[in-house]
Amino acid sequence: MSETGRYLVLVLVVVAVVSYLLRALPFVLFGSGRRPPAVVRYIGSLLAPSVMAMLVVYCFAGYLKNGCLDTPLHGGAELAASALTVALHLWRGNPLLSIACGTALYMFLIRGAF
Amino acid sequence: MEGESKKPSRGIAARAFVATLPVFAGYISMGFAAGLLLSIQYATAWSVFWAPATSGTFISGMLQFLLLDWLREMTPIMDVIVVTVCLNVRYSLYGISLIERFKAAPLFTRLYLIGTVTDESYALQTQCPWPPGRASTRYCFLIAMFDHFYWLLGATSGALAGICAQGIFSRERVEACTRGIDFAMTALFIVILVDQVKSRENRAPAVIGLAVSSLVFCSIAAFAGFSAAKGWMLIPTMVLIVCSFLALRGCLDPECRKGGAA
Repeated sequence: MSETGRYLVLVLVVVAVVSYLLRALPFVLFGSGRRPPAVVRYIGSLLAPSVMAMLVVYCFAGYLKNGCLDTPLHGGAELAASALTVALHLWRGNPLLSIACGTALYMFLIRGAF
Repeated sequence: MEGESKKPSRGIAARAFVATLPVFAGYISMGFAAGLLLSIQYATAWSVFWAPATSGTFISGMLQFLLLDWLREMTPIMDVIVVTVCLNVRYSLYGISLIERFKAAPLFTRLYLIGTVTDESYALQTQCPWPPGRASTRYCFLIAMFDHFYWLLGATSGALAGICAQGIFSRERVEACTRGIDFAMTALFIVILVDQVKSRENRAPAVIGLAVSSLVFCSIAAFAGFSAAKGWMLIPTMVLIVCSFLALRGCLDPECRKGGAA
């Protein structure tokens, strides 16, 4: 096997094993009938909403990284599509409708077809 | 809802499928991009083998993109391990809130559920309409399987299409047609966040997450630019979020507020 081939297999195995171990860690530590300590349960109960907020910011970080401020709308496409998604979701509460309309508006706006 | 009590498993599968549709849009397009990029970087047959090898071993999408850089530059293995840990340590935290939910699952189902923890599946699984138990296990398993399959499909077809289409169409044309469809992922996170903050107890952690992540992003961006800020924001944000939880435990933890030393 060539050096590149060996490196490829090594990287694949290392990344796969490290990824799986990290995911399994909480289940190994607290999974076998032992109740996680109160502080861990407390953190676990609050984590979902704050991680979701972080991922929204992370998505916007991606748009900023890709230069959305330098586009003709200066990031307006991202903001408008997000606002539409939020508004539709508060109004109708239908996830698919909110996501489809928000995405459609975004795809429309970034093409400058207005 | 009468039909659901007669045929619960069908209702579960249908609901799981509908719930993953936004992920379908996001994963197919992002997986396609990952596969396509790879086939362009290495215009050889093994780029088709790439998708099953990385997705089948539960390597996350973000890492699949990074792997392309690492393979090109033969990055030292130690760096690879450090970046993998930093990017994926959040899955350990996600797992904490999934322990109860996955407990009822048989061993191999549980091993699969653990391997397929991702941002998107986690988001959908925590919204599971059933309490932990058989229905919940089935729902979570189907969510994990659908999402996993979408990525596998996207990445494999991306690599295949990349190899075939590079001769026929231009790469630019394929990209131009689907440009922007990845906003479905952002919209998915937004929709879940809106649903979460409808219940009062989720508002404080949501505000903390929003404030901390914006602060971290802006501080890194001020010194090192948007690109570095996006790449490095997740770890400090997670650390600071957990620190804020610990600092604010007195007013956020119902068990503490009651005065019980649980």
